[in-house]
Amino acid sequence: MVTHEEIRKIARLAKLSISDDELDRLTKDMSEIIGFADTINAVSPDASDFDNINNLSNAFREDTVVPSYDQEEILKNAPNQEDGYFLVKKRV
Amino acid sequence: MEGKIKKISRMLASKEISCTELTQQYLAAMERDDGKLNAYVNRTPDAALQAAKAVDQKIAAGEALLPLEGIPMTLKDNISTKGIETTCCSKILKGYVPIYDATVWEILQKQNAVLLGKTNMDEFAMGSSCETSCFGGAKNPHNLAHVAGGSSGGVASAVGGNLAVYGLGSDTGGSIRQPASFCGLVGLKPTYGAVSRYGLIAYASSFDQIGPITSTVEDAALVYDAISLYDERDSTSSGRKGAPTAQSLVNPIKGMKIGIAKEYFEGIRDDVRTAVEEAIRVYESLGAEIVHFDMPSLKYSLPVYYILACAEASSNLGRYDGIRYGYRTDHYADRDEMVCKTRSEGFGEEVKRRILLGTYVLSSGYYDAYYKKAQNLRGTLVHAFEDAFQKCDVLLAPTVPMTAFPQNFTAQDPVETYLTDICTVPVNIAGLPAVSIPCGSDAAGLPIGMQLIGNRFCEGTILNAAYQYETAVGEHVFRTADMGVSV
Repeated sequence: MVTHEEIRKIARLAKLSISDDELDRLTKDMSEIIGFADTINAVSPDASDFDNINNLSNAFREDTVVPSYDQEEILKNAPNQEDGYFLVKKRV
Repeated sequence: MEGKIKKISRMLASKEISCTELTQQYLAAMERDDGKLNAYVNRTPDAALQAAKAVDQKIAAGEALLPLEGIPMTLKDNISTKGIETTCCSKILKGYVPIYDATVWEILQKQNAVLLGKTNMDEFAMGSSCETSCFGGAKNPHNLAHVAGGSSGGVASAVGGNLAVYGLGSDTGGSIRQPASFCGLVGLKPTYGAVSRYGLIAYASSFDQIGPITSTVEDAALVYDAISLYDERDSTSSGRKGAPTAQSLVNPIKGMKIGIAKEYFEGIRDDVRTAVEEAIRVYESLGAEIVHFDMPSLKYSLPVYYILACAEASSNLGRYDGIRYGYRTDHYADRDEMVCKTRSEGFGEEVKRRILLGTYVLSSGYYDAYYKKAQNLRGTLVHAFEDAFQKCDVLLAPTVPMTAFPQNFTAQDPVETYLTDICTVPVNIAGLPAVSIPCGSDAAGLPIGMQLIGNRFCEGTILNAAYQYETAVGEHVFRTADMGVSV
Protein backbone atom coordinates (compact mmCIF):
# COMPACT_ATOMS: atom_id res chain seq x y z
CA MET A 1 0.00 0.00 0.00
CA VAL A 2 1.40 3.36 -1.02
CA THR A 3 0.48 6.43 1.04
CA HIS A 4 -0.15 10.05 0.03
CA GLU A 5 2.94 10.98 2.01
CA GLU A 6 5.12 8.55 0.04
CA ILE A 7 3.80 9.88 -3.27
CA ARG A 8 4.55 13.45 -2.12
CA LYS A 9 8.09 12.43 -1.18
CA ILE A 10 8.70 10.59 -4.48
CA ALA A 11 7.27 13.52 -6.43
CA ARG A 12 9.67 15.86 -4.62
CA LEU A 13 12.59 13.61 -5.56
CA ALA A 14 11.39 13.48 -9.17
CA LYS A 15 10.84 17.26 -9.29
CA LEU A 16 7.15 16.98 -10.08
CA SER A 17 4.51 19.08 -8.37
CA ILE A 18 1.34 17.13 -7.74
CA SER A 19 -2.05 18.76 -7.25
CA ASP A 20 -4.49 17.40 -4.62
CA ASP A 21 -6.68 15.96 -7.40
CA GLU A 22 -3.72 14.17 -8.92
CA LEU A 23 -2.52 12.95 -5.55
CA ASP A 24 -5.55 10.71 -4.97
CA ARG A 25 -5.44 9.23 -8.43
CA LEU A 26 -1.68 8.73 -8.49
CA THR A 27 -1.70 7.13 -5.04
CA LYS A 28 -4.34 4.66 -6.20
CA ASP A 29 -2.52 3.97 -9.50
CA MET A 30 0.83 3.59 -7.78
CA SER A 31 -0.61 1.22 -5.18
CA GLU A 32 -1.85 -1.01 -7.98
CA ILE A 33 1.40 -0.79 -9.91
CA ILE A 34 3.56 -1.47 -6.85
CA GLY A 35 1.27 -4.38 -5.91
CA PHE A 36 1.90 -5.76 -9.37
CA ALA A 37 5.66 -5.15 -9.09
CA ASP A 38 5.63 -7.01 -5.78
CA THR A 39 4.95 -10.29 -7.58
CA ILE A 40 8.69 -10.56 -8.24
CA ASN A 41 9.34 -10.82 -4.52
CA ALA A 42 7.78 -14.29 -4.53
CA VAL A 43 10.87 -15.73 -6.27
CA SER A 44 14.50 -15.98 -5.39
CA PRO A 45 16.49 -15.59 -8.59
CA ASP A 46 19.75 -17.36 -9.27
CA ALA A 47 22.63 -15.07 -8.59
CA SER A 48 23.41 -13.55 -11.94
CA ASP A 49 25.73 -11.12 -13.53
CA PHE A 50 23.32 -8.25 -13.88
CA ASP A 51 25.93 -5.76 -15.00
CA ASN A 52 26.22 -7.35 -18.39
CA ILE A 53 22.71 -8.22 -19.51
CA ASN A 54 23.21 -7.37 -23.14
CA ASN A 55 26.49 -9.23 -23.35
CA LEU A 56 28.30 -6.15 -24.51
CA SER A 57 31.56 -4.61 -23.56
CA ASN A 58 32.05 -0.87 -23.72
CA ALA A 59 33.43 0.21 -27.07
CA PHE A 60 36.23 2.63 -26.32
CA ARG A 61 37.70 5.01 -28.87
CA GLU A 62 40.50 7.56 -28.90
CA ASP A 63 39.57 10.83 -27.24
CA THR A 64 40.38 13.05 -30.17
CA VAL A 65 39.37 16.67 -30.56
CA VAL A 66 36.90 17.19 -33.41
CA PRO A 67 34.73 20.18 -34.34
CA SER A 68 31.59 20.20 -32.18
CA TYR A 69 28.24 21.92 -32.37
CA ASP A 70 27.87 25.64 -32.81
CA GLN A 71 27.03 27.50 -29.59
CA GLU A 72 24.58 29.78 -31.36
CA GLU A 73 22.77 26.80 -32.87
CA ILE A 74 22.48 25.10 -29.48
CA LEU A 75 21.15 28.24 -27.82
CA LYS A 76 18.39 28.59 -30.42
CA ASN A 77 16.49 25.82 -28.61
CA ALA A 78 16.64 27.57 -25.24
CA PRO A 79 13.42 29.16 -23.96
CA ASN A 80 15.54 32.22 -23.07
CA GLN A 81 19.18 33.15 -23.67
CA GLU A 82 21.56 36.10 -23.53
CA ASP A 83 25.24 36.68 -24.40
CA GLY A 84 25.92 33.00 -25.01
CA TYR A 85 24.25 31.86 -21.77
CA PHE A 86 21.02 30.06 -20.95
CA LEU A 87 18.88 32.64 -19.16
CA VAL A 88 16.45 32.13 -16.27
CA LYS A 89 14.71 34.90 -14.37
CA LYS A 90 16.66 36.31 -11.43
CA ARG A 91 14.92 35.59 -8.14
CA VAL A 92 15.97 36.22 -4.58
CA MET B 1 6.32 -12.06 -51.85
CA GLU B 2 8.17 -9.29 -53.62
CA GLY B 3 8.39 -6.23 -51.44
CA LYS B 4 7.42 -2.69 -52.34
CA ILE B 5 10.95 -1.34 -52.06
CA LYS B 6 12.42 -3.46 -54.85
CA LYS B 7 9.34 -2.88 -56.99
CA ILE B 8 9.51 0.92 -56.64
CA SER B 9 13.26 0.88 -57.14
CA ARG B 10 12.75 -0.97 -60.43
CA MET B 11 9.99 1.44 -61.51
CA LEU B 12 12.28 4.39 -60.82
CA ALA B 13 15.28 2.87 -62.62
CA SER B 14 13.19 1.97 -65.67
CA LYS B 15 11.72 5.52 -65.70
CA GLU B 16 8.19 4.16 -65.39
CA ILE B 17 7.66 6.96 -62.87
CA SER B 18 9.97 9.74 -61.68
CA CYS B 19 10.80 10.01 -58.01
CA THR B 20 9.27 13.49 -57.96
CA GLU B 21 5.97 12.18 -59.38
CA LEU B 22 5.96 9.32 -56.90
CA THR B 23 6.66 11.69 -54.00
CA GLN B 24 3.88 14.02 -55.15
CA GLN B 25 1.48 11.07 -55.16
CA TYR B 26 2.35 10.32 -51.54
CA LEU B 27 2.09 13.98 -50.52
CA ALA B 28 -1.35 14.22 -52.20
CA ALA B 29 -2.47 10.99 -50.50
CA MET B 30 -1.37 12.38 -47.12
CA GLU B 31 -3.41 15.51 -47.81
CA ARG B 32 -6.42 13.35 -48.64
CA ASP B 33 -6.22 10.53 -46.10
CA ASP B 34 -4.15 11.58 -43.12
CA GLY B 35 -6.95 13.68 -41.64
CA LYS B 36 -8.63 10.34 -40.90
CA LEU B 37 -5.52 8.53 -39.64
CA ASN B 38 -3.64 11.24 -37.71
CA ALA B 39 -0.46 9.29 -38.52
CA TYR B 40 1.75 12.31 -39.21
CA VAL B 41 2.48 15.01 -36.66
CA ASN B 42 4.85 16.97 -38.90
CA ARG B 43 4.89 16.78 -42.70
CA THR B 44 8.12 17.54 -44.53
CA PRO B 45 7.23 18.02 -48.23
CA ASP B 46 10.26 20.26 -48.91
CA ALA B 47 12.74 17.67 -47.64
CA ALA B 48 10.87 14.95 -49.55
CA LEU B 49 10.85 16.79 -52.87
CA GLN B 50 14.49 17.83 -52.49
CA ALA B 51 15.57 14.19 -52.01
CA ALA B 52 13.33 13.14 -54.92
CA LYS B 53 14.99 15.69 -57.17
CA ALA B 54 18.44 14.34 -56.30
CA VAL B 55 17.25 10.82 -57.14
CA ASP B 56 15.81 11.94 -60.47
CA GLN B 57 19.10 13.64 -61.36
CA LYS B 58 20.96 10.41 -60.60
CA ILE B 59 18.58 8.42 -62.79
CA ALA B 60 18.92 10.98 -65.60
CA ALA B 61 22.70 10.65 -65.35
CA GLY B 62 22.38 6.89 -65.72
CA GLU B 63 23.70 6.10 -62.23
CA ALA B 64 22.59 2.97 -60.38
CA LEU B 65 20.37 3.48 -57.32
CA LEU B 66 21.16 2.28 -53.80
CA PRO B 67 18.61 -0.15 -52.29
CA LEU B 68 16.56 2.47 -50.40
CA GLU B 69 17.18 5.36 -52.74
CA GLY B 70 14.09 7.40 -53.57
CA ILE B 71 11.74 5.33 -51.40
CA PRO B 72 9.11 7.48 -49.60
CA MET B 73 9.29 6.84 -45.86
CA THR B 74 8.71 8.21 -42.39
CA LEU B 75 10.43 8.43 -38.99
CA LYS B 76 8.87 8.16 -35.55
CA ASP B 77 8.99 11.54 -33.84
CA ASN B 78 11.60 10.44 -31.27
CA ILE B 79 14.32 10.06 -33.95
CA SER B 80 16.34 13.27 -34.21
CA THR B 81 16.25 15.09 -37.54
CA LYS B 82 18.50 18.11 -37.93
CA GLY B 83 16.47 21.22 -38.69
CA ILE B 84 13.15 19.35 -38.40
CA GLU B 85 11.12 19.64 -35.19
CA THR B 86 11.29 16.48 -33.05
CA THR B 87 8.83 16.39 -30.15
CA CYS B 88 8.40 12.81 -28.86
CA CYS B 89 4.75 13.91 -29.04
CA SER B 90 5.22 15.65 -25.70
CA LYS B 91 4.28 19.22 -24.79
CA ILE B 92 7.65 19.49 -23.05
CA LEU B 93 9.52 19.17 -26.38
CA LYS B 94 7.20 21.18 -28.64
CA GLY B 95 9.29 23.53 -30.73
CA TYR B 96 12.52 21.57 -30.19
CA VAL B 97 14.58 21.46 -33.39
CA PRO B 98 17.58 19.09 -33.18
CA ILE B 99 20.94 20.41 -34.33
CA TYR B 100 22.13 16.94 -35.30
CA ASP B 101 20.81 13.86 -37.08
CA ALA B 102 20.26 10.46 -35.52
CA THR B 103 22.72 7.97 -37.03
CA VAL B 104 19.92 6.01 -38.70
CA TRP B 105 18.68 9.16 -40.42
CA GLU B 106 22.23 10.09 -41.43
CA ILE B 107 22.57 6.63 -43.05
CA LEU B 108 19.23 6.92 -44.86
CA GLN B 109 19.94 10.44 -46.12
CA LYS B 110 23.07 9.09 -47.83
CA GLN B 111 20.63 6.86 -49.74
CA ASN B 112 18.41 9.86 -50.61
CA ALA B 113 15.53 8.52 -48.54
CA VAL B 114 12.40 10.57 -49.20
CA LEU B 115 11.23 11.71 -45.75
CA LEU B 116 7.50 12.47 -45.96
CA GLY B 117 7.24 13.53 -42.33
CA LYS B 118 7.55 12.60 -38.67
CA THR B 119 4.97 10.25 -37.24
CA ASN B 120 2.79 10.08 -34.16
CA MET B 121 3.67 8.09 -31.02
CA ASP B 122 2.77 7.71 -27.39
CA GLU B 123 4.42 10.50 -25.41
CA PHE B 124 8.11 9.55 -24.95
CA ALA B 125 7.19 6.09 -26.34
CA MET B 126 5.28 5.28 -23.14
CA GLY B 127 2.05 3.57 -24.07
CA SER B 128 0.35 0.84 -26.07
CA SER B 129 -2.25 2.81 -28.01
CA CYS B 130 -0.56 6.00 -29.30
CA GLU B 131 -3.23 7.84 -27.29
CA THR B 132 -0.82 9.40 -24.78
CA SER B 133 0.46 11.57 -27.67
CA CYS B 134 -0.07 15.29 -27.11
CA PHE B 135 -1.39 15.35 -30.70
CA GLY B 136 -4.09 12.70 -30.06
CA GLY B 137 -3.73 9.08 -31.16
CA ALA B 138 -3.16 7.60 -34.64
CA LYS B 139 -6.03 5.51 -36.03
CA ASN B 140 -5.97 1.96 -37.35
CA PRO B 141 -6.16 2.00 -41.15
CA HIS B 142 -8.16 -1.27 -41.12
CA ASN B 143 -10.84 0.24 -38.87
CA LEU B 144 -10.74 3.91 -37.94
CA ALA B 145 -12.67 3.33 -34.70
CA HIS B 146 -9.70 1.35 -33.37
CA VAL B 147 -6.21 2.43 -32.34
CA ALA B 148 -3.11 1.86 -34.44
CA GLY B 149 -1.29 0.58 -31.35
CA GLY B 150 1.78 1.95 -29.67
CA SER B 151 4.00 3.39 -29.09
CA SER B 152 5.06 3.62 -32.78
CA GLY B 153 1.38 3.96 -33.77
CA GLY B 154 1.95 6.72 -36.32
CA VAL B 155 4.51 4.69 -38.31
CA ALA B 156 2.13 1.69 -38.40
CA SER B 157 -0.84 3.86 -39.30
CA ALA B 158 1.11 5.53 -42.14
CA VAL B 159 2.56 2.29 -43.57
CA GLY B 160 -0.71 0.34 -43.12
CA GLY B 161 -2.62 3.20 -44.79
CA ASN B 162 -0.10 3.34 -47.67
CA LEU B 163 1.02 6.85 -46.74
CA ALA B 164 4.67 5.67 -46.57
CA VAL B 165 6.46 2.62 -47.94
CA TYR B 166 8.29 2.02 -44.69
CA GLY B 167 9.04 3.73 -41.42
CA LEU B 168 11.48 3.52 -38.55
CA GLY B 169 10.08 3.11 -35.06
CA SER B 170 11.62 2.24 -31.72
CA ASP B 171 10.87 -0.77 -29.53
CA THR B 172 11.46 -0.64 -25.77
CA GLY B 173 8.82 -3.15 -24.67
CA GLY B 174 7.02 -3.92 -27.94
CA SER B 175 6.55 -0.49 -29.51
CA ILE B 176 7.43 -1.68 -33.04
CA ARG B 177 5.90 -5.17 -32.92
CA GLN B 178 2.59 -4.34 -31.22
CA PRO B 179 1.47 -1.60 -33.66
CA ALA B 180 2.73 -3.73 -36.57
CA SER B 181 0.54 -6.57 -35.26
CA PHE B 182 -2.49 -4.27 -34.83
CA CYS B 183 -2.12 -2.86 -38.36
CA GLY B 184 -1.33 -6.12 -40.23
CA LEU B 185 2.31 -5.24 -40.87
CA VAL B 186 5.84 -6.54 -40.43
CA GLY B 187 7.71 -5.00 -37.48
CA LEU B 188 11.31 -5.92 -36.68
CA LYS B 189 12.88 -5.25 -33.28
CA PRO B 190 16.61 -5.90 -33.86
CA THR B 191 19.12 -7.33 -31.39
CA TYR B 192 20.17 -4.78 -28.77
CA GLY B 193 23.24 -3.06 -30.22
CA ALA B 194 22.56 -3.96 -33.87
CA VAL B 195 21.27 -0.50 -34.76
CA SER B 196 22.77 2.71 -33.39
CA ARG B 197 20.66 4.54 -30.81
CA TYR B 198 22.57 7.80 -31.33
CA GLY B 199 19.94 10.52 -31.77
CA LEU B 200 17.07 8.36 -30.54
CA ILE B 201 15.52 10.32 -27.67
CA ALA B 202 15.96 7.96 -24.74
CA TYR B 203 13.18 6.22 -22.83
CA ALA B 204 14.95 3.20 -21.27
CA SER B 205 18.45 2.98 -22.67
CA SER B 206 19.19 -0.70 -21.96
CA PHE B 207 15.96 -1.73 -23.78
CA ASP B 208 15.49 0.83 -26.60
CA GLN B 209 16.18 -0.31 -30.15
CA ILE B 210 15.32 1.24 -33.54
CA GLY B 211 13.82 -0.95 -36.28
CA PRO B 212 11.61 -0.95 -39.38
CA ILE B 213 7.86 -1.28 -39.86
CA THR B 214 7.01 -2.41 -43.40
CA SER B 215 4.26 -4.19 -45.32
CA THR B 216 6.43 -7.14 -46.42
CA VAL B 217 9.26 -9.20 -44.94
CA GLU B 218 11.64 -8.41 -47.80
CA ASP B 219 11.21 -4.68 -47.15
CA ALA B 220 12.01 -5.16 -43.45
CA ALA B 221 15.15 -7.11 -44.38
CA LEU B 222 16.34 -4.42 -46.80
CA VAL B 223 15.82 -1.61 -44.29
CA TYR B 224 17.46 -3.60 -41.48
CA ASP B 225 20.47 -4.39 -43.68
CA ALA B 226 20.87 -0.67 -44.45
CA ILE B 227 20.62 0.67 -40.88
CA SER B 228 22.46 -2.01 -38.90
CA LEU B 229 25.92 -0.47 -39.03
CA TYR B 230 28.50 -0.01 -36.29
CA ASP B 231 28.49 3.53 -34.86
CA GLU B 232 31.24 4.80 -32.59
CA ARG B 233 28.87 7.42 -31.14
CA ASP B 234 26.81 4.69 -29.43
CA SER B 235 28.97 2.83 -26.90
CA THR B 236 26.60 -0.18 -27.04
CA SER B 237 26.68 -0.38 -30.85
CA SER B 238 27.94 -3.59 -32.42
CA GLY B 239 26.37 -3.32 -35.87
CA ARG B 240 24.98 -6.26 -37.82
CA LYS B 241 26.90 -9.49 -37.47
CA GLY B 242 27.04 -11.68 -40.53
CA ALA B 243 25.73 -11.45 -44.08
CA PRO B 244 22.89 -9.18 -45.21
CA THR B 245 19.58 -10.76 -44.19
CA ALA B 246 17.88 -10.06 -47.53
CA GLN B 247 20.12 -12.69 -49.17
CA SER B 248 18.94 -15.57 -47.00
CA LEU B 249 15.16 -15.02 -47.19
CA VAL B 250 14.61 -17.63 -49.88
CA ASN B 251 16.47 -20.41 -48.06
CA PRO B 252 14.23 -23.43 -47.39
CA ILE B 253 13.36 -23.91 -43.72
CA LYS B 254 13.01 -27.69 -43.81
CA GLY B 255 14.42 -29.00 -40.53
CA MET B 256 14.36 -25.61 -38.82
CA LYS B 257 13.41 -26.09 -35.18
CA ILE B 258 10.57 -23.82 -34.07
CA GLY B 259 10.10 -23.60 -30.31
CA ILE B 260 6.74 -23.11 -28.63
CA ALA B 261 6.90 -22.01 -24.99
CA LYS B 262 3.63 -22.75 -23.22
CA GLU B 263 3.70 -19.55 -21.15
CA TYR B 264 3.39 -17.35 -24.23
CA PHE B 265 -0.05 -18.82 -24.88
CA GLU B 266 -1.57 -18.23 -21.44
CA GLY B 267 -4.27 -15.56 -21.25
CA ILE B 268 -4.38 -15.22 -25.04
CA ARG B 269 -7.76 -14.50 -26.68
CA ASP B 270 -9.16 -17.59 -28.41
CA ASP B 271 -9.19 -16.21 -31.96
CA VAL B 272 -5.57 -15.06 -31.59
CA ARG B 273 -4.53 -18.48 -30.28
CA THR B 274 -6.35 -20.23 -33.13
CA ALA B 275 -4.65 -18.03 -35.75
CA VAL B 276 -1.19 -18.63 -34.27
CA GLU B 277 -1.82 -22.39 -34.01
CA GLU B 278 -2.86 -22.38 -37.67
CA ALA B 279 0.45 -20.67 -38.51
CA ILE B 280 2.30 -23.39 -36.59
CA ARG B 281 0.62 -25.94 -38.91
CA VAL B 282 1.79 -23.93 -41.93
CA TYR B 283 5.34 -24.17 -40.59
CA GLU B 284 4.94 -27.93 -40.14
CA SER B 285 3.82 -28.20 -43.75
CA LEU B 286 6.98 -26.31 -44.76
CA GLY B 287 9.06 -28.98 -43.05
CA ALA B 288 9.86 -27.19 -39.80
CA GLU B 289 10.13 -29.25 -36.65
CA ILE B 290 7.96 -28.01 -33.78
CA VAL B 291 9.46 -28.29 -30.29
CA HIS B 292 7.35 -27.69 -27.17
CA PHE B 293 8.77 -26.63 -23.77
CA ASP B 294 8.13 -24.50 -20.70
CA MET B 295 9.75 -21.19 -19.78
CA PRO B 296 8.35 -20.58 -16.28
CA SER B 297 10.42 -17.44 -15.63
CA LEU B 298 8.54 -15.65 -18.44
CA LYS B 299 5.79 -14.86 -15.97
CA TYR B 300 8.07 -12.33 -14.24
CA SER B 301 8.78 -10.45 -17.47
CA LEU B 302 6.17 -7.75 -17.04
CA PRO B 303 7.02 -6.55 -13.53
CA VAL B 304 10.74 -6.85 -14.33
CA TYR B 305 10.24 -4.76 -17.46
CA TYR B 306 8.14 -2.06 -15.81
CA ILE B 307 10.47 -1.73 -12.81
CA LEU B 308 13.65 -1.47 -14.88
CA ALA B 309 12.31 0.54 -17.82
CA CYS B 310 10.68 3.09 -15.50
CA ALA B 311 13.83 3.32 -13.36
CA GLU B 312 15.84 4.13 -16.48
CA ALA B 313 13.14 6.54 -17.68
CA SER B 314 13.11 8.45 -14.39
CA SER B 315 16.83 9.03 -14.84
CA ASN B 316 16.72 9.76 -18.59
CA LEU B 317 13.85 12.22 -18.27
CA GLY B 318 15.66 14.14 -15.55
CA ARG B 319 17.15 16.29 -18.33
CA TYR B 320 13.85 18.08 -19.02
CA ASP B 321 14.21 21.06 -16.70
CA GLY B 322 13.04 23.94 -18.90
CA ILE B 323 16.47 25.56 -19.02
CA ARG B 324 18.21 24.44 -22.21
CA TYR B 325 15.43 23.39 -24.58
CA GLY B 326 11.73 22.72 -24.82
CA TYR B 327 8.88 24.04 -22.72
CA ARG B 328 9.34 26.35 -19.70
CA THR B 329 6.56 27.39 -17.33
CA ASP B 330 5.56 31.07 -17.33
CA HIS B 331 5.24 31.83 -13.63
CA TYR B 332 7.61 30.75 -10.88
CA ALA B 333 9.16 32.09 -7.71
CA ASP B 334 12.51 30.27 -7.72
CA ARG B 335 14.53 27.81 -9.74
CA ASP B 336 13.16 24.76 -7.97
CA GLU B 337 9.59 25.85 -8.64
CA MET B 338 10.48 26.57 -12.26
CA VAL B 339 11.77 23.02 -12.75
CA CYS B 340 8.86 21.37 -10.91
CA LYS B 341 6.17 23.40 -12.68
CA THR B 342 7.83 23.00 -16.07
CA ARG B 343 7.91 19.22 -15.67
CA SER B 344 4.40 18.97 -14.21
CA GLU B 345 2.87 21.09 -16.98
CA GLY B 346 5.03 19.64 -19.75
CA PHE B 347 4.70 15.89 -19.09
CA GLY B 348 1.46 13.97 -19.58
CA GLU B 349 -0.10 11.65 -17.01
CA GLU B 350 1.42 8.34 -18.16
CA VAL B 351 4.92 9.83 -18.31
CA LYS B 352 4.53 11.21 -14.77
CA ARG B 353 3.30 7.82 -13.55
CA ARG B 354 6.35 6.07 -14.99
CA ILE B 355 8.76 8.69 -13.62
CA LEU B 356 7.19 8.25 -10.18
CA LEU B 357 7.37 4.45 -10.37
CA GLY B 358 11.00 4.65 -11.49
CA THR B 359 11.88 7.09 -8.73
CA TYR B 360 10.11 4.88 -6.18
CA VAL B 361 11.96 1.68 -7.11
CA LEU B 362 15.29 3.49 -7.08
CA SER B 363 14.70 5.34 -3.82
CA SER B 364 16.42 4.48 -0.58
CA GLY B 365 14.66 1.62 1.18
CA TYR B 366 13.13 0.19 -1.99
CA TYR B 367 16.18 -0.22 -4.25
CA ASP B 368 17.01 -3.77 -3.09
CA ALA B 369 13.42 -5.03 -3.09
CA TYR B 370 12.58 -3.77 -6.55
CA TYR B 371 15.42 -2.50 -8.74
CA LYS B 372 18.13 -4.92 -7.70
CA LYS B 373 15.74 -7.86 -7.53
CA ALA B 374 14.43 -7.05 -11.01
CA GLN B 375 17.98 -6.82 -12.37
CA ASN B 376 18.73 -10.27 -10.97
CA LEU B 377 15.56 -11.65 -12.53
CA ARG B 378 16.60 -10.04 -15.79
CA GLY B 379 19.64 -12.29 -15.63
CA THR B 380 17.40 -15.29 -14.98
CA LEU B 381 15.33 -14.47 -18.08
CA VAL B 382 18.47 -14.09 -20.21
CA HIS B 383 19.52 -17.60 -19.12
CA ALA B 384 16.02 -18.97 -19.84
CA PHE B 385 16.29 -17.77 -23.43
CA GLU B 386 19.83 -19.16 -23.72
CA ASP B 387 18.44 -22.55 -22.68
CA ALA B 388 15.54 -22.23 -25.12
CA PHE B 389 17.91 -21.63 -28.02
CA GLN B 390 19.70 -24.86 -27.17
CA LYS B 391 16.43 -26.58 -28.09
CA CYS B 392 15.26 -24.55 -31.10
CA ASP B 393 16.35 -22.09 -33.79
CA VAL B 394 13.46 -19.65 -33.37
CA LEU B 395 10.62 -19.21 -30.90
CA LEU B 396 7.10 -18.59 -32.18
CA ALA B 397 4.54 -16.72 -30.06
CA PRO B 398 1.58 -14.37 -30.36
CA THR B 399 2.64 -10.71 -30.54
CA VAL B 400 -0.29 -9.34 -28.52
CA PRO B 401 -2.97 -11.30 -26.62
CA MET B 402 -5.70 -9.49 -28.59
CA THR B 403 -6.34 -7.35 -31.67
CA ALA B 404 -6.40 -3.53 -31.82
CA PHE B 405 -8.38 -1.94 -28.98
CA PRO B 406 -11.20 0.47 -29.66
CA GLN B 407 -10.19 4.08 -29.08
CA ASN B 408 -10.01 5.28 -25.45
CA PHE B 409 -9.99 1.69 -24.23
CA THR B 410 -6.71 2.07 -22.36
CA ALA B 411 -7.59 5.00 -20.16
CA GLN B 412 -9.18 2.92 -17.34
CA ASP B 413 -6.53 1.11 -15.30
CA PRO B 414 -2.76 1.34 -15.83
CA VAL B 415 -1.97 -2.27 -14.81
CA GLU B 416 -4.60 -3.68 -17.17
CA THR B 417 -2.96 -1.75 -20.00
CA TYR B 418 0.52 -2.95 -19.01
CA LEU B 419 -0.70 -6.57 -19.17
CA THR B 420 -1.23 -6.27 -22.94
CA ASP B 421 2.58 -6.08 -23.30
CA ILE B 422 2.98 -9.58 -21.83
CA CYS B 423 4.22 -11.23 -25.05
CA THR B 424 6.46 -8.43 -26.30
CA VAL B 425 8.57 -7.39 -23.27
CA PRO B 426 10.60 -10.61 -22.77
CA VAL B 427 12.83 -10.03 -25.83
CA ASN B 428 13.63 -6.48 -24.75
CA ILE B 429 14.64 -7.79 -21.34
CA ALA B 430 16.99 -10.29 -22.99
CA GLY B 431 18.14 -7.99 -25.85
CA LEU B 432 16.99 -10.45 -28.53
CA PRO B 433 15.66 -9.83 -32.06
CA ALA B 434 12.01 -10.52 -32.90
CA VAL B 435 9.80 -9.86 -35.89
CA SER B 436 6.02 -9.55 -35.80
CA ILE B 437 4.17 -10.65 -38.92
CA PRO B 438 0.44 -10.95 -39.67
CA CYS B 439 -1.20 -14.38 -39.34
CA GLY B 440 -4.92 -13.73 -39.79
CA SER B 441 -7.80 -11.48 -38.79
CA ASP B 442 -10.47 -11.45 -36.11
CA ALA B 443 -14.25 -11.51 -36.79
CA ALA B 444 -14.24 -7.72 -37.18
CA GLY B 445 -11.47 -7.87 -39.80
CA LEU B 446 -8.75 -6.53 -37.51
CA PRO B 447 -5.33 -8.11 -38.10
CA ILE B 448 -3.79 -10.72 -35.76
CA GLY B 449 0.00 -10.90 -35.45
CA MET B 450 2.58 -13.42 -34.32
CA GLN B 451 6.25 -13.00 -33.56
CA LEU B 452 9.33 -15.00 -34.40
CA ILE B 453 12.06 -14.59 -31.81
CA GLY B 454 15.70 -15.34 -32.54
CA ASN B 455 18.95 -15.67 -30.72
CA ARG B 456 21.26 -12.64 -30.55
CA PHE B 457 22.12 -11.36 -34.06
CA CYS B 458 20.00 -14.07 -35.72
CA GLU B 459 17.86 -11.53 -37.61
CA GLY B 460 18.66 -13.50 -40.78
CA THR B 461 17.07 -16.65 -39.33
CA ILE B 462 13.84 -15.04 -38.10
CA LEU B 463 13.39 -13.05 -41.31
CA ASN B 464 13.99 -16.21 -43.35
CA ALA B 465 11.28 -18.01 -41.35
CA ALA B 466 8.97 -15.00 -41.67
CA TYR B 467 9.51 -14.79 -45.44
CA GLN B 468 8.75 -18.47 -45.95
CA TYR B 469 5.47 -18.12 -44.05
CA GLU B 470 4.58 -14.98 -46.02
CA THR B 471 5.23 -16.80 -49.30
CA ALA B 472 3.08 -19.73 -48.15
CA VAL B 473 0.05 -17.67 -47.07
CA GLY B 474 0.32 -14.74 -49.49
CA GLU B 475 -1.54 -11.49 -49.89
CA HIS B 476 -4.80 -12.25 -48.13
CA VAL B 477 -2.88 -12.31 -44.83
CA PHE B 478 -0.23 -9.70 -45.66
CA ARG B 479 -2.40 -6.77 -46.68
CA THR B 480 -2.46 -3.03 -46.26
CA ALA B 481 -5.68 -1.00 -46.10
CA ASP B 482 -7.51 0.25 -49.14
CA MET B 483 -6.29 3.85 -49.01
CA GLY B 484 -3.24 5.94 -49.77
CA VAL B 485 -0.96 5.16 -52.73
CA SER B 486 -1.21 1.75 -54.37
CA VAL B 487 2.13 0.63 -55.78
